[in-house]
Amino acid sequence: MNKPVALAVAEIPADSDFDGAPATKVRGYWQSVGYRLRHDWVTLGFGVIVLLIVLAAVFAPLIAPFSPYAQSIIGRLKPFGWRGHPWGTDELGRDMMSRLIYGGRISLMMGLVPVVIATMIGGTLGVIGGFAGKVANTAIMRTMDVFYAFPSILLAVAISGAMGGGIVNGIISLSLVFTPAMCRVAETATAQVKNLDYIEAARASGAGTLTIIRHHVLGNVLGPVFIYASSLVSVSILLASGLSFLGLGVQPPEPDWGLMLSTLRQSLYVDPLGCALPGIAIFITSICFNLVSDGIRAAMDVRI
Amino acid sequence: MLGYVFRRILFAIPIALGVSVVCFSLVYLAPGDPLQTVLPPDATAETIAIVKHAYGFDRPIPVQYAIWLWHVLHGDFGRSIATQRAVTLEVFGSVANTAMLALFAVPLSFITGYSMGALAGCYPGKIMDRVVTGAAVIGVSLPNYWLGLVLVILFAVEYMVLPASGMGQSGSAAFVLWHWSDAQFLVLPVITLAMIPIGIIARTTRAAVADVRNQDFVTTLRAMGLGEGAVIRHVLKNASPQVLAVMGLQFGYLMGGSILVETVFTWPGSGFLLNKAIINRDIPVLQGTILALSLIFVLTNLVVDLLQAILDPRIRRA
Amino acid sequence: MIRRLMLAAGFATMSVAAQAGGVITVAMTAGEVPITTGTPDQGFEGYRFVALNLYDALVNWDVSKSDTASDIKPGLATAWHIDPANNKRWLFDLRQGVKWHDGCDFMAQDVVWNFARLMDNKAPQFDTFQFALSRGYLTSIAAVTAVGDHQVAIETKSPDSLVPYELSYVPMISRCRAEALKYDYSGYANQPSGTGPYLFSKLVPHERLELVPNPNYWDKARIPKQDKLVLLPMPEANTRVAALLSGQVNFIEAPAPDAVPRLKSAGMKLFTNIYPHVWAYQLNFVTSPFKDLRVRQAANYAINRDDVKELLGGLMEDAYSTIPPATPYFGHPVLYKFDPKKAHALLEEAKCLPCDVTFVISTSGSGQMQPLQMNELIKAQLEEVGFRVKLDIMDWNALGQVARDGIEKHPDDAAVNASKAVSDPFYGLIRHVAKAQWAPVGSNWGHYEDAETEDLIAKINAEFDPARRNDLLIKLNERMNAQAVMIWVAHDVNPRALSPKLHGFVQAQSWFQDLTPITVDP
Repeated sequence: MNKPVALAVAEIPADSDFDGAPATKVRGYWQSVGYRLRHDWVTLGFGVIVLLIVLAAVFAPLIAPFSPYAQSIIGRLKPFGWRGHPWGTDELGRDMMSRLIYGGRISLMMGLVPVVIATMIGGTLGVIGGFAGKVANTAIMRTMDVFYAFPSILLAVAISGAMGGGIVNGIISLSLVFTPAMCRVAETATAQVKNLDYIEAARASGAGTLTIIRHHVLGNVLGPVFIYASSLVSVSILLASGLSFLGLGVQPPEPDWGLMLSTLRQSLYVDPLGCALPGIAIFITSICFNLVSDGIRAAMDVRI
Repeated sequence: MLGYVFRRILFAIPIALGVSVVCFSLVYLAPGDPLQTVLPPDATAETIAIVKHAYGFDRPIPVQYAIWLWHVLHGDFGRSIATQRAVTLEVFGSVANTAMLALFAVPLSFITGYSMGALAGCYPGKIMDRVVTGAAVIGVSLPNYWLGLVLVILFAVEYMVLPASGMGQSGSAAFVLWHWSDAQFLVLPVITLAMIPIGIIARTTRAAVADVRNQDFVTTLRAMGLGEGAVIRHVLKNASPQVLAVMGLQFGYLMGGSILVETVFTWPGSGFLLNKAIINRDIPVLQGTILALSLIFVLTNLVVDLLQAILDPRIRRA
Repeated sequence: MIRRLMLAAGFATMSVAAQAGGVITVAMTAGEVPITTGTPDQGFEGYRFVALNLYDALVNWDVSKSDTASDIKPGLATAWHIDPANNKRWLFDLRQGVKWHDGCDFMAQDVVWNFARLMDNKAPQFDTFQFALSRGYLTSIAAVTAVGDHQVAIETKSPDSLVPYELSYVPMISRCRAEALKYDYSGYANQPSGTGPYLFSKLVPHERLELVPNPNYWDKARIPKQDKLVLLPMPEANTRVAALLSGQVNFIEAPAPDAVPRLKSAGMKLFTNIYPHVWAYQLNFVTSPFKDLRVRQAANYAINRDDVKELLGGLMEDAYSTIPPATPYFGHPVLYKFDPKKAHALLEEAKCLPCDVTFVISTSGSGQMQPLQMNELIKAQLEEVGFRVKLDIMDWNALGQVARDGIEKHPDDAAVNASKAVSDPFYGLIRHVAKAQWAPVGSNWGHYEDAETEDLIAKINAEFDPARRNDLLIKLNERMNAQAVMIWVAHDVNPRALSPKLHGFVQAQSWFQDLTPITVDP
């Protein structure tokens, strides 16, 4: 299977390839990346929004006007602009704004944690696979190929469906979905630097495998892995919200955007705008992560 | 070339076997009893034992796997616990219904996505590029199940121009594509389903085209005095293997990953069947559906690889 | 002559009325088309729409009236009585002249054959799947024998006065058809043959079941007045509402309460009625704080049912007992009306403050109404008086497993929120409190045990006089309330929305409903 890595990834808005990119690490590389980023107003703008969403999630208890669990049946399904509840209330009279802010915590967690786990596991396996001999490589990569043979949402739904809903099971299943892709990216990047002259030189000068990996390989592999991982965050947010929507993800009463969308669906005819809010939140977060990831990719990829 | 084809097919076999192991064992990740659904809430221990034995769930798991695989190899996926029907028939029927959606979603998303991406890639930085890139990123960032809900409210409930759910006036068995009364059921799910692939294909095509345009040979072609139209043709041809790979994956996604859209529209396809199997904990159906869909995915990958090898001779030698 | 013409005209209009025609398209809450081979799956909805339309049981339910609690009536049996010489032997007189949909005659031997199909795993017609679904209704039956062609004798393991109720859940299928198909029941599902008011027309798996009227139905009053009855599974409430509003269906079960105003403004007709259903918590009487009567009473006093009703848009009746007040054996039980102060005092007295309890609840399920929202509300209400509630949320099937296992496997759970059908004395009362029904054998999840209750149950089973049995049942219900054996919250009112084009529907106080009188405007 020798197709370019990025192209083999299902449902992932990846539009670049990583072959060749790492070798261009020259002095001042990061400065030039920083320079390009500073002048990319789109990325900067959406980066600020991402930052705001993250800050809102982190400091939710300070910002949210109410507890996301405090209910009031008399005050249920109040519309936008209701006194005391600027964004209205949900089907149990809980403050929408507070629930959306707290919901950001879970949605961001479901977006980030599986990607981080997959990056660590998949990245490590990929570097080992890329650097080690044929047997280890075959063992790792062929196992990954098996998981690769499932469309990602199918694998996520199947695993969550089998194990039952819940945040932990959702994270496990999404991590499993992303691991093979991360592994491939890391493996390809590793295999490419492995045979470069300066690695040969390092090896000739007696450096151990671990030293070579630490000093020479990682630096070149981290870039593509990071870019790729950043593009997965929005995919993970969307997949997690889809799982919650099917009842396979986050369970009530936790505020989660996908779950809120699912339960508020029942009240669509009473409060259409309120029911749309969690969907809008998912959309905005996902689009921001996508655009920022695109921007970083563009900035780090010298050829574009 | 033949050698490559042979190697590539040989290579797919262990993957398919691995897939079958994953499908089979998935189900045993689950807590609780595989026969929960059949058993009424008040079933006694004695009832459970009799039923378990009848379904073969009292045997060791490796033995169950061997028996299952043997039957699968003979085209028999077992019987549904919940409905008693042959899983093979269930899976074929539902995959055919999903294919009906894909039949329209694939050309819609491939043509739209490809034209958008090619246009944007040919004019990088221009207004056209910005519009297309913006639209594409919206496509990949929208939760599509949510879009589906909104479309139903708008076009089925408020304006009453299209049906809200289901497949045809009298169900999938009597679905007639060339009658608008049935075909109209396709419109909303197809649009919803195509949204993500359009975005992904547009983005990939744009990147691939822009990438190729920056390569040396394009400059050479221009220097040789080729017209812009001819240059674009060369560029598109050189970008095609990449685009093709992504299209292959999107085809796999349209066949196997439409569970959310099918659930929203109660479209009786493979994703819908899978969702039911999960809710009912119907193990044979769950195993059969996942296996069939992932084998379709493996097969698609195989075809794409072979197509790529035809387009790009370098791959064959690798 | 003129009179003759008028008469003819009269006949003409009558026959038009009788054949008003049209198609009823029902959106069911079930996630799947209920199976058609006899005893259905999908709970009582399977009975309501499939089994009781295709088939009859020996005993049917009278669902023709909306103003009284519905009770059993003769079905394929015209009468029944206990053998005067043996109180473990029932005799059922069978209806004569009834034909199966396949044309064969209905005989006593068919009944015997049917029971063997469900009970004798050595009989060629034995059906494991049907066995699993019917087992609960057949536990007391020891043997069924034909007495001539038109009577059967049913022997029970111990005296059981409630046998006619149990038999109302056992549809009779055609032996002729099953034998012709060599007992291939998956084939039978596609060409079922019963004696019911509807004939099978078409089944599209997972999508729809189409039934057409049986013009030769033995109960002439119940020959369906439509051309066709189409049943669609649509588990998601919002999908059902959208399907009704967009004109795809004209009859939906259980619309989301919040969608009701929209449905009404679109001219839809909303039907509600109390029926034997209770949304309650079964309690753990051994290893949880609920082993103390005061804690059980406190929990009942803590529930503000008005708020629950508000949450459901008014679509419920307050539940203060296992069975709805209209039930003949309701009696005058003690009712724990909302009184948070008293609840708090009781907890203080029981020295359970804060009182930590774990409730097992489901995300959805048959009869569960709006389980997540309702449980979140009740959790808040209980915490108001001094409980500390942890909700353990699982899907409906997993909850079913916990409910079946009983407390021995789940000692840390204090209560399980599985709504209950309470259609008859056994289902309504006895199974929840009898020692013989301790889980995992039966439905007494929390291992309730009480000498007075046991004594009453023994008397009820041995009492064959309906009036005297009713007095005993009243005593049992009153005892159950005095002991606060559950936390009672709501009786569902089974909302249904119908297109204004449908006429003649009468919503009975039952899980079962009669669709035969409905006519449809073109």
